[in-house]
Amino acid sequence: MSLVQISGLKKYFDTVHAVDGVDLEIKQGEFLVILGPSGCGKTTLMRMIAGLEKPSAGQISIGGADVTALPPRKRGVSMVFQSYALYPHMNVFNNIAFPLRAQRREKKFDKRVIREKVEDTARLLEIDMLLDRRPRQLSGGQRQRVAIARAMVTQPAVLLLDEPLSNLDAKLRANARDELKDFQRSSDITAVFVTHDQIEAMGLGDRIVVMSEGKIQQVGTPQQIYDDPANEFVATFLGSPSMNIIASAHHKFGFRPEHFLPKTLNDNPENARIFHYFVKRVEYLGSDRLVYGYVQGHDSHLTLAKVPSNVRVSLDVETDYEFAVHYRDLKFFDQRSGARITRRNPAEAL
Amino acid sequence: MAALTWILSNFWALLVIALVLLVGLRIAWRIHKYGATRAEFSHILRRSPFYIVVLVFCFFAVSPFLIMFLHTFKTDGDLYRRPQPFIFRQEPTIEHLDALFNNTAYLDFIRNSIVVGVAVVIITLVLSLPAAYALARLTGRWGERAGILMFLVYLLPPTLLFIPMFRIVVLLGLKDSPLALIVVYPTFTVPFSMWLLQGFFKAVPPELEEAALVDGYNRVEAFLRVVLPLSLPGIISTVVFTFTLTLHEFIYGLVFIADTRQRTLSVGVPTELILGDVYFWQPLLAAALIIAIPVGLAYNLFLDSLVQGFTMGAVKG
Amino acid sequence: MASLALPSFPLDNRRVVGILFLAPALIYILLLVGFPFLLAIAFGFSDVTVGNTDLSFVGLRNFEAVWENDIFRQVFATTIRFTLISQVFILLFANILAIIFTQEFTGKWFARFIFILPWATPVSLAMIGWLWMLDTKYSPIDYLLLQTGFLGPGGHLSNDRNLFWLASPDLAQISVIFVQVWRMTPLATVILMAGLSSIPTDILDQAEVDGSRFMRTLLMIKLPLILPIMVIALLFSMITMFGDMTVVYVLTRGGPVDYTRVLGLYSFQVGIEGGNLAQGAAISLFAFPLLLAMAIFMLRAASRAEVR
Repeated sequence: MSLVQISGLKKYFDTVHAVDGVDLEIKQGEFLVILGPSGCGKTTLMRMIAGLEKPSAGQISIGGADVTALPPRKRGVSMVFQSYALYPHMNVFNNIAFPLRAQRREKKFDKRVIREKVEDTARLLEIDMLLDRRPRQLSGGQRQRVAIARAMVTQPAVLLLDEPLSNLDAKLRANARDELKDFQRSSDITAVFVTHDQIEAMGLGDRIVVMSEGKIQQVGTPQQIYDDPANEFVATFLGSPSMNIIASAHHKFGFRPEHFLPKTLNDNPENARIFHYFVKRVEYLGSDRLVYGYVQGHDSHLTLAKVPSNVRVSLDVETDYEFAVHYRDLKFFDQRSGARITRRNPAEAL
Repeated sequence: MAALTWILSNFWALLVIALVLLVGLRIAWRIHKYGATRAEFSHILRRSPFYIVVLVFCFFAVSPFLIMFLHTFKTDGDLYRRPQPFIFRQEPTIEHLDALFNNTAYLDFIRNSIVVGVAVVIITLVLSLPAAYALARLTGRWGERAGILMFLVYLLPPTLLFIPMFRIVVLLGLKDSPLALIVVYPTFTVPFSMWLLQGFFKAVPPELEEAALVDGYNRVEAFLRVVLPLSLPGIISTVVFTFTLTLHEFIYGLVFIADTRQRTLSVGVPTELILGDVYFWQPLLAAALIIAIPVGLAYNLFLDSLVQGFTMGAVKG
Repeated sequence: MASLALPSFPLDNRRVVGILFLAPALIYILLLVGFPFLLAIAFGFSDVTVGNTDLSFVGLRNFEAVWENDIFRQVFATTIRFTLISQVFILLFANILAIIFTQEFTGKWFARFIFILPWATPVSLAMIGWLWMLDTKYSPIDYLLLQTGFLGPGGHLSNDRNLFWLASPDLAQISVIFVQVWRMTPLATVILMAGLSSIPTDILDQAEVDGSRFMRTLLMIKLPLILPIMVIALLFSMITMFGDMTVVYVLTRGGPVDYTRVLGLYSFQVGIEGGNLAQGAAISLFAFPLLLAMAIFMLRAASRAEVR
């Protein structure tokens, strides 16, 4: 059942179309990641769900009720900001208690209930020994937990997270990611997570929404998005190094560097497309070798191959090789729009 | 002239009509944009107390200026004989404006104020631009202390210093000369503008200067070629506020200069346009208003910039 | 040894350039503020007058004479009373106005212009306007009160046709305080606006998502966060007010009797108009320890209240 329904949502800032017609359904209990490059409108979309921005057009409903015109406090959402936005003059306890106190009257929370709820949530996030501290006395990871605790304490219908991991250093980030995912699973809350980091998106998301230029490009599981991209943008945005795109007479086709391997490694050459590949340069990345070279007939730009290091093939620079891509790994895109085209017989299409 | 007479005679009616028209147009525009829905009307209703508060405050702030404006054009008969301060019972006149400019030292006051103001601004910039940069970037702990000292100096009121200052001015032979003011005014404009400029300089990313240093400039050149041009808007607003500080100053001007023709606006108008017990009210009020309006406009124009400099100076200082 | 020598590239050295840049301003200020300040102290301990300019040491005689003078005590008390009472209103109005002017609303630019006028106008010129507004005979305020039945025969406030704003002791004091509030509220407002606009928008958005309404956000988030800047604003306007003589100079010259005489004006009247430089200096010096203590106390309070 879908908890949040968004239809025809638009937001214009003067002439800039920050969000340009978004339709989206968010399911109860799922971890939805909104992924896109900076300026794609993902944060604006989230702020509209939160009620911090008024949409120029369109509708948002949460739990079946139209909330488009409602202020944030009436929506049952809570949010964790990139900066965590902890109130610097309050200790951790008061920070977490703040949303409870703000809704004290509507929800009939008394002092005892507030104390219990704050302590329970703090215990859940293992920050119960920090309740007397001020935010500036906390580490980055602790601040993040406090911010999440404050967002969770009201048991919101939807938890919105705006790049909450980007302020942590790389080592902490991986750890925090796992904890966040575990926490979301165990508490069964619906989470919407905005990020520009595809690794974060792939690791966290039950489903990923890829956005670009204010529009949704594709919605799907991490695997669908990666293996079955809806268009050229999604195909090239995900994966590192990104998908090779080659223009042919009628369309463009693409294949990922890890699928572009020396022909000798291919057990079934009949099902693969063979390319003459001139190797310019080889980078050794430990587990893989990254090969830069030119495909014959398409030497205007480099084509990359990612060859596992444990495969015993020698690759010399300034040398011609035969490389192969399995037909099922070839994706076709429309020359103009970049939309994905299905080809029943890839071999003939080339 | 006829237009002025008409405006003045119908002043209050015009004011009310303008206000109603503005409010009406605004509401009409909102309804045009968002539709005549119930939510829209309740929005307008909820907002109106806010506007009423604004109007009340505005009324308090502006009332002496409105009176100044109306009375500038009143004849003596209208002003004194049958006191009715808000409307014109006799034809409005500009004879008092004429008298202000032609029969009094008002133009001298304006000239003196400009001369003093411009000279002080120049001295202030020469002294405070490098000093503010030093406080913002170059100096460590002792620089910070020098900054706090400067701030405290700015807080020293002129009433504490004018007596010894007066002695020094007399000793230097500067009494009754605008030069006295030009020498003394930087004692408060320099700390003020240093504090403000420091804020603007801190807003310039240090990487830009570092790039200039790497590109082959020394520190002084980096300051002149990178920091100064980038903080130009801040510098301009500092100039504006420094100038108006000199325009506002009263005590030193009153004490140092007794010669009518050498006095500045803020001292000259209230002391020289009053002869003994005789107040020439219309020229007096006009003289005040003529200065108030442009300074007010300048303040409003540069206010955001002032707030920004203040914030940077206070938050990161 | 090497540290004493000039660095080989003096214009690249932070310290050298720092000293070079700071020195002119510092020297100018020290000469023209420090020297007169010392001179003020010297005057205070001497018998200098406008006629006799020798400085002969007379010890604490001037200060004793000043302190034992009943007028001085009254003046000192008046100055403190005016300062404290006006600050209450200035702070109250400045907070309200700062909140108003940090929001977006129609006509904001014009409202702000009107609102800044009292501060932008040179004090002595603005006082001319008030001198007329509070005139004994022609006051437009009196006229309004007369028309609405508060004044005149059978009026609620007085049977007279005028209130004599600047001529009756109580009203004169109230008038001076009102006018001071009128002209200094904008400065405090601007300083508070600086404080309010430096609160991160994330914090305010967060409060909104947390369900906090206008008043709660104001009282629990905004005001605590601008507390340090509020102290700075208070310091500014208190010291300005304490050292001001312009308002009373133009409006009342200290009258009626001594009711609105403040320290600055008294020191001017004794020192310059009366020609007794020594006593004038001694009078204004009484303000110094108070101002210094105030400045230090408030700056410390501000830095303690600052949340990093």
